Amino acid sequence: MLSESDAKVLKAISEGHLDPQTIAEKLGKNVETVRASADALAEQGLAKVDKSVDEIFSLAEEGQKYAREGLPERNLLRAIGSGKPIAELKDPSLKIGLGWLRKKGWAAIQAGELKPIGSAAKGKDEEILETLLAGPRSGSTLDSKGLAALKGRGLVTSTKSKEWRYEITDEGISRIKGIERTSTFKVSAIIVNGTLNQIPSDLIKNGEWGVKLGEELADNYVRQDGKLYHARPYDVTLAADRIYPGKKHPYQRLIDFMREIMLEMGFTEIKGQIIQSSFWNFDALFQPQDHPAREMQDTFYLDTRAEIPDFTKVKEMHECGGAVGSTGWGGCWSPEVARQEVLRTHTTAVTIKYLADHPQPPVKAFGIDRVYRREAIDATHTPEFEQLEGVVMDEGVSFRHLLGVLKEFYAKMGFEEVRFRPGYFPYTEPSVEPEVFIDGLGWVELGGAGVFRREVTAPFCIEHPVLAWGLGVSRVAMLKLGLKDLRLLYQSDMEWLRQTPVSIKM
Amino acid sequence: MPVVRLYYEDMERLIGASRDTIMSRLAMMGADIGKRAEADHVDVEFFPDRPDLYSPEGVARAMQGFLGLKTGLVHYQVEKGPVELLVEESVKSVRPIIGCAVVRDLEFSDEAIESLMGLQEDLHWGLGRNRRKVAIGVHDISRVTSPFRYLGADPDRKFVPLDFWEEVSMREMLHKHPKGRDYGHILEGCERYPLIVDDNDNVLSFPPIINGELTRVTEDSHDLFIDVTGTDPVVYKALNIVVTSLAERGGKIESVLVKRSEGDFVSPNLEPSLWTVSAREANLLIGFDLTAQELASCLEMMRFGARAEGSAVEVQVPAYRADIMHSWDIFEDAAKAYGYDRLVAELPKAVTVGKAHPAELRKAEIREIMAGLGYLETMPFTLTNEKIHFDWMRRPREGAVRVMHPISELHTILRTSLLSSLLEIFAINQHHPLPQKIFAVGDVVVEKRTQMHLAAASVHSQASFSEIRSVADAVLRELGLEEDVKIVPSQDGALLPGRGADLLIDGQKKGLFGELHPLVLQSFGLEQPVVALELRWGEL
Repeated sequence: MLSESDAKVLKAISEGHLDPQTIAEKLGKNVETVRASADALAEQGLAKVDKSVDEIFSLAEEGQKYAREGLPERNLLRAIGSGKPIAELKDPSLKIGLGWLRKKGWAAIQAGELKPIGSAAKGKDEEILETLLAGPRSGSTLDSKGLAALKGRGLVTSTKSKEWRYEITDEGISRIKGIERTSTFKVSAIIVNGTLNQIPSDLIKNGEWGVKLGEELADNYVRQDGKLYHARPYDVTLAADRIYPGKKHPYQRLIDFMREIMLEMGFTEIKGQIIQSSFWNFDALFQPQDHPAREMQDTFYLDTRAEIPDFTKVKEMHECGGAVGSTGWGGCWSPEVARQEVLRTHTTAVTIKYLADHPQPPVKAFGIDRVYRREAIDATHTPEFEQLEGVVMDEGVSFRHLLGVLKEFYAKMGFEEVRFRPGYFPYTEPSVEPEVFIDGLGWVELGGAGVFRREVTAPFCIEHPVLAWGLGVSRVAMLKLGLKDLRLLYQSDMEWLRQTPVSIKM
Repeated sequence: MPVVRLYYEDMERLIGASRDTIMSRLAMMGADIGKRAEADHVDVEFFPDRPDLYSPEGVARAMQGFLGLKTGLVHYQVEKGPVELLVEESVKSVRPIIGCAVVRDLEFSDEAIESLMGLQEDLHWGLGRNRRKVAIGVHDISRVTSPFRYLGADPDRKFVPLDFWEEVSMREMLHKHPKGRDYGHILEGCERYPLIVDDNDNVLSFPPIINGELTRVTEDSHDLFIDVTGTDPVVYKALNIVVTSLAERGGKIESVLVKRSEGDFVSPNLEPSLWTVSAREANLLIGFDLTAQELASCLEMMRFGARAEGSAVEVQVPAYRADIMHSWDIFEDAAKAYGYDRLVAELPKAVTVGKAHPAELRKAEIREIMAGLGYLETMPFTLTNEKIHFDWMRRPREGAVRVMHPISELHTILRTSLLSSLLEIFAINQHHPLPQKIFAVGDVVVEKRTQMHLAAASVHSQASFSEIRSVADAVLRELGLEEDVKIVPSQDGALLPGRGADLLIDGQKKGLFGELHPLVLQSFGLEQPVVALELRWGEL
């Protein structure tokens, strides 16, 4: 059925008022309500809506600067000439260029040296920057990929100019005629010419329902105070306005699905700080202090130091292998390096701290939380993402039990076929890379696992094996939610959120 | 991770097995095989702990064992040679450690040269920390005369470096030569520079920067002198990996007598190191059930020397293995030889009860409330920047943690509140129908501590203070906070004066709600009124 206000809009359209502004003025409504009504009419096939949206782009502040001075990667490329060691790139503006330089394939890091590759021809993004320096332009005249790249970097901004045109359909015309026969568009009255839309409370309580029409009893008529009203029948097959409930994020639904699996498997959920000392993020996990993974290319460092716990045993383990028969890394372990703070690069920083606080078996713990990697943002990389990690520490558990836990976990995740191949992670031995079979994709590597090295556990008096595994949850989201672009998880399109059903299968 | 290019024909020749056999088992030895296998070669990534696999020769050696074609320790012959190298005192404060060797009778095909250069580069990365710890030089020995000297030279000393035509001083090389620009920083602050010269004072090498042009290796070279210098004993591992890899190509290894004030030694030393491991410990860790004899057989497949001695196994670890730090490293190799695919997966027996974190339970309550109020959940990034987070919100730049080397101008700080992220989401969704109502529940970081927030916002032409007041009241009521909270007028710059309220608990500001200031909306490019609330409901 039509609401009164939809009907008025339909009538206005039928009278030749074809755009929302005009209709809004005529009816004394705001434009937004008119558009909503027109959308509803369109859904019922009573009117047609022709929407054209043009996006006008202009340079953001940062973009202005780059349009004049060149993109940071272009400037960096110029600065490195035929090659330059990463360590020499001190200027912070050059560092911003580094990620893009590599992403665009203009240069690569080989043995710590940044070297140019190929001709680095002028990109579409650079052409667009030049064009926009002259003034704003319509998006339709610009290269869409280049534009998307610039938008992603926040270098251009856009405003949308929209135009709506309405047209009444044949069905709309006949509906108007029908309405005109039965009503006169009275705004305030519910009862129109003896016809009811809304049923007044008084008629529910006191009305005499049902009249004889010839042989038949018509019980959608009601009599009161000597007057007869007709509860008008509707076309119940027509769709009404589309509404959406408030909902949990589809990605959160996946995270909760995985949390429930872990809880069912008897794991305790743990959490920890986003900012960690290098001690917990690296040193406690027996990562040597000169390890490449600790370099600033991969890790977000802070220029602050943290308090760290008694590090005697950790230092001893790094330098000479402690008392577990390890050789250690040699060299001199520095507490100053360990104090430097980072955005945690993995949830393992939280796990090892938890194990250090709970060294008595059995421990089964897990966490799903955000971790941070210094990566340029694109469809498959984001500088922050969720990681799931689980550990089992108990007397008598072995690598074979780790495979058992992994099989169970992946099966519950819906990956029935799992296989294991050797892997390498700095703090586990043995290490394994699980692969799951996915129709259409084949064997896909999903996560990593292993038994914590003795060099990791011994300094914290953890005397039993620790089986550990982890995986990137956003990778699972790509598989389970059919995502092509991870950014959609964090910078969500409202229609995607609205239209992804609560019942989506994980 | 280092990528090694394996040519099938070359590998078939080196290993003595068919391409299919090799490719079907390679991954199970420990490798990531790229998806793009080419017609004549495949690029394979090997793990950073196994620099001995950074050459086709090293891969072949390991693969022969893994396939059971040749097992046990490889015995490399080292002939006593005539070459001597004197380590002078002057170099010891700069780059004290040197190992060297001579390898003769080599025939250099293109593939062999490519593999040697690749190996050198990968070792510089994997073991050498970009030449700081380890730098390798390879020379045609026919151009120079023993004895050699390793000394700390005057930076003004001149010679012709590789790829140059004329003499340049070492000091100038650090600026003029590409390799000097790349690695010169390693010598920063040094008064003397490391140099290897021959008996006639001809320069072989200026480690860790560049070799001399004189001893350049060409296709016509047959006899090589290899120097490996550095600051850590891992230098000797790198040397062993290079010389054994050349020996796998048919080279004959010849020793060099290294003379030092603290005692002479013969280089290279390819003697295996000896470990005794227990079969019981291996069984406990891996979960298989092997006798000492069976364990020894597995280890022989991984090219260890291994002999069962009662319940223990005497293990000879090859001199080229750089990853054996602990008995578990040996056990992992045994497990690989046994086959990960043969291990029977089994669940641990411990009975434990799962327990959700209280913060996650609270989040679930909040999601239920917000969904009930018609709000859609969003999960924005925690990284943002000062401009959006503070300036656009008309708030002072306070309390945020800044990262040292941001990768983009968009992500320079961790958020201290959620609201600006919601406004960004509105901004990218303006083409979709209104009203839009969204919320986020998640972590923020204030003064380095992780705090937990809820924010909710609603945009449409009729958005009003009373709407958000109702929502705020409902949230506080449902969370059981209503009685603790005092509502007072807000001075927050993000809200329209007179239409914003702070939420106080025990006199502390824990949140706010109200109408966003139109200046804020302008900054975000929003055209309709927005009302919002934010609440700090917990901390870790």
